Amino acid sequence: MTDTVLDTTQYDVLNTIALKKMASAQGIVDATGVAQGDVMSALSALQSLGLVATIGDQSLPMDDAVPALVATSNERYAALRIDPAVREMADKFEVVNGQFLTVISSWQQIDVGGRKITNDHTDSEYDDKILSRLDKLVARLIQLIDVLSERDIRFDRYAVRFARANDQVVAGNLAYVSSPTIESVHNIWFEFHEDLLRTLGRERNE
Amino acid sequence: MTGQPEVTDTTAQSVASFTFAFDDASTGDKAVLGGKGAGLVSMTRSGIRVPPGYILSTACCHEYFLAGAMPSNLLKEIEARLTALEAQTGKQFGAGPTPLLLSVRSGAPVSMPGMMDTVLNLGLNKAAAIALATLTGNTRFMADVLFRFHSMYSEIVLDVLDIPDSAELDVVLEPLGDNPDPAAVYDAVWDFCQSRLADMGEEEVPQEPREQLVRAIEAVFRSWNTRRAITYRELHRIPHEMGTAVVVQSMVFGNLDQQSGSGVVFSRDPVTGEPGLFGEFLSASQGEDVVAGTRTPDPIARLEKVLPATFEDLTSTVARLERTSQDVLDIEFTIERGVLYFLQVRSAKRTAPAAIRIATDFLDEGTVSDHAALQMLSVEQVRQVQRPGFDPAEVREARDGGQRVAEGIGASPGQVTGFLSLDPDRAVAAAKTGQHVILARQVTSPTDLHGMIAADGIMTATGGATSHAAVVARALGKSCVVGCSDVVIDSTLKTLRVGDVVIREGDAISLDGATGEVFTGTLTLTRPAAADKQLERLLKLASERSGAQVLVRATTVEQVSAAKADGLAGVVAAAAEVLATSRRFSDVMASLSAPEDQASSFSLLEDVLAEQFTPLFAAAGDLEFSIRAVDFLTDKISDVLDTRTIAVEYPYLAMPLGSTECIRAQLRGISRAAQAAGSTTRVSLCPRNVSDAAEARALARIKGELEGAEDIGVGVYLTSARGALAACDLADEVNVVWLELRLLQAAMFGLPADYLLTREPLDRYSSRGLLSVNPRDSVDPSVTPLLAAVARSISERPASRIGIRVSGEISERLIGELYAQGFRRFAVDSGEASPARLALGKAVGAAT
Repeated sequence: MTDTVLDTTQYDVLNTIALKKMASAQGIVDATGVAQGDVMSALSALQSLGLVATIGDQSLPMDDAVPALVATSNERYAALRIDPAVREMADKFEVVNGQFLTVISSWQQIDVGGRKITNDHTDSEYDDKILSRLDKLVARLIQLIDVLSERDIRFDRYAVRFARANDQVVAGNLAYVSSPTIESVHNIWFEFHEDLLRTLGRERNE
Repeated sequence: MTGQPEVTDTTAQSVASFTFAFDDASTGDKAVLGGKGAGLVSMTRSGIRVPPGYILSTACCHEYFLAGAMPSNLLKEIEARLTALEAQTGKQFGAGPTPLLLSVRSGAPVSMPGMMDTVLNLGLNKAAAIALATLTGNTRFMADVLFRFHSMYSEIVLDVLDIPDSAELDVVLEPLGDNPDPAAVYDAVWDFCQSRLADMGEEEVPQEPREQLVRAIEAVFRSWNTRRAITYRELHRIPHEMGTAVVVQSMVFGNLDQQSGSGVVFSRDPVTGEPGLFGEFLSASQGEDVVAGTRTPDPIARLEKVLPATFEDLTSTVARLERTSQDVLDIEFTIERGVLYFLQVRSAKRTAPAAIRIATDFLDEGTVSDHAALQMLSVEQVRQVQRPGFDPAEVREARDGGQRVAEGIGASPGQVTGFLSLDPDRAVAAAKTGQHVILARQVTSPTDLHGMIAADGIMTATGGATSHAAVVARALGKSCVVGCSDVVIDSTLKTLRVGDVVIREGDAISLDGATGEVFTGTLTLTRPAAADKQLERLLKLASERSGAQVLVRATTVEQVSAAKADGLAGVVAAAAEVLATSRRFSDVMASLSAPEDQASSFSLLEDVLAEQFTPLFAAAGDLEFSIRAVDFLTDKISDVLDTRTIAVEYPYLAMPLGSTECIRAQLRGISRAAQAAGSTTRVSLCPRNVSDAAEARALARIKGELEGAEDIGVGVYLTSARGALAACDLADEVNVVWLELRLLQAAMFGLPADYLLTREPLDRYSSRGLLSVNPRDSVDPSVTPLLAAVARSISERPASRIGIRVSGEISERLIGELYAQGFRRFAVDSGEASPARLALGKAVGAAT
């Protein structure tokens, strides 16, 4: 099965399911920008390939899903992987990613006399400074994503999702900064990071 | 958030009051000076030496937007202020021998995100840079300052995203050799930075200091209208006309000579709360050296030896500031040629144990009132110090006995023991069976999220304190150790190996997410020893001030004993839960499914209740003990007796007073237990879902007619709007009335009460903006009049025991609101009694 090469829509749909570990058709439409009807037919194709199991409304990846994604991305992104603009983008991402994780960590914990304590979000000045920095980093990531979107439009969905999470944060729903159970800024970033690694055929090192 | 700001009309002010020096400001008004500016003016007025500077008022912001550019009269004023600042500091802007460098920062009347960050070291042209190198005798320092200024200005004023890494400075300086000429260094650094911007097609940083200043000020004004700032104001109803002020402040040098230096101090140790200055000092250095870690600072005590007079000045000023602000302070300072300047003074963040110690010490020192001492502590801090941790003796044994197999980086605190799982799916499966699970991974990816959510603790072989795994663990509040680099996980063999030690999946391991230690085997969790005498004292003070009674939910002897040890007023228990702890529980349930409301079918219920409550009453001593009667409708007691089956087959069990015999049996059981325990406790039995005075009367009559139940009281749990509105009449019939807030809220929303206990489905639903109030975290306005009705009954019947049951984690705000409405009796979940007592104490006004 590892030789299965998927078409573009199938890849996009399966990639989303694999990243989210479980996704509804509506969630896939939202994350991929693929039309509902196309998602449904991709889902049934993926099911008959044995790559996806659907229980009720939710689709889950089967064991062969990731190998199929890897095989497909090796072909689909072969040119992209040697594109100097993309390689430069990937290097810059490493830097921004480090800054981002540092900012998110300062959002969660405050250094007090060498000890980390949980940020109780009572100091709005501290929080405002971090949110302003987060804004800049997300803006910067979106610039980097543009490099990919110019080559594969599916990446543009990340920009849309970031904007939406950001609106929630601005509206005062602070959980949208880093909560792992909702479409928070960190969750989207984490998914993008994983997606980028697969696109480039690289390994995660932490 | 700070409350709604006061807005004053500044448009009528004359041009002369556009700007204010810190030391001659004619106003202290935040609306004019902004928050930071007002703070600096107030510090200067109270004799604290801050580096001199001036403020462009919020009116300047209006003028700027009206004119669409910097108004010429404002430019003139900036120039005049600059001249005055040069005279005051004896330094020269954009020149030598002592160059004047400035910081520029935004300062809105209320803090909001999106506003411009601080720009430091503004004012470096070639002449000033050479002078700085000559003055400090340190060309490398000048290069650092110049490089940092350029980066900061690019990033903050010009919004350039891609700024050079500090390592690149070394590359730039290398060709210039060991003792380079300052002029050459300036040229090399400046040209490098500028050409980098030009290569990226970015605007360059102005070369002339005056232009740097004006452009930075304009950038502050523009930041008032960033998208985030605008959205924030709209959401928080902050008027867009308010505008931001700008603070322009001179910079002082801590590296001019051996009489100079910089440091950071806390007025007390923020980790332990121990009195006395705590912090670091670095002689002949700028603050950035401490932050950058290029030199290791000395403990603050060293300052006493180096500059005794300055140390004395620092100590006495800090002590005075602490007294006047009634708070522990976090202070940044710089000493320039023996003169001490305060750069920043703010409330110090502190650990929970420090917060407790500080509040009690402040009380003893007479620094704060009882009221103020309680305000220094949060309910979350109380929860933190009461959280169970590893038994310290077992940890010592484990360390000595070689049980500590790995030491990684503690990324999210918490001490947990569980069964090792090496795969997220298997972690979820194990957690579903009720096991505590520690998930160990080589690396984590988004596909591990569900496993991390299910696990109690997480460890990874790779990653640092700022890895995705660490971020996720902290967001989930789970204990996490990352970077256990010696750990090798074999997913085929399902083992975790560290050197010779092999741990199999399913084996017990323990994690300390603070120290980063990983132990084999289990470690016992205990409540922190000596539950802290200082906390006990503060809680006692809180209870004295509020005069409120707190009862805690208890099902076991340990919980009852803990409530007694904590000095609480009493406990509440659910008869159904206490029954469920009996081995005969299923027999009891089976016996209830008799065809008729017959005495015989409840005799087993009576026996088991008597048996189960005897040890609880014995442990309770003289504590009040309020028991919620078995509620077949709401309690998910048994699959046999679900809501639908009951209504059809056993209708008398579905309604609160449906079965007289069932109530009698419970009264008899409890009464027997009380006699057996020989207890003096005030016991009451309270059926749930009561809403009518007739029901309450019936209940009182059943009890009155029952022999041997004289010492048992009866009461009701109100769960509906109807019940709440009838609270007064009900209170006339029975001894105890509880209003059950969660059920009342659920009823108002027409939702099952269970929905309010878990995150899903309500949190996601209300985050979509579909509910203006999420009943999980706030009281709905529709409930407020009902609370008022119950509160009225409290004030009209002071002798009645009318209280409110608040389930889940209590919030300070909610408890404060209920207290203000007149509630004085509270029943809370296990572990929430101390937080509730503090919240009640804090809710009492300052005057009483």
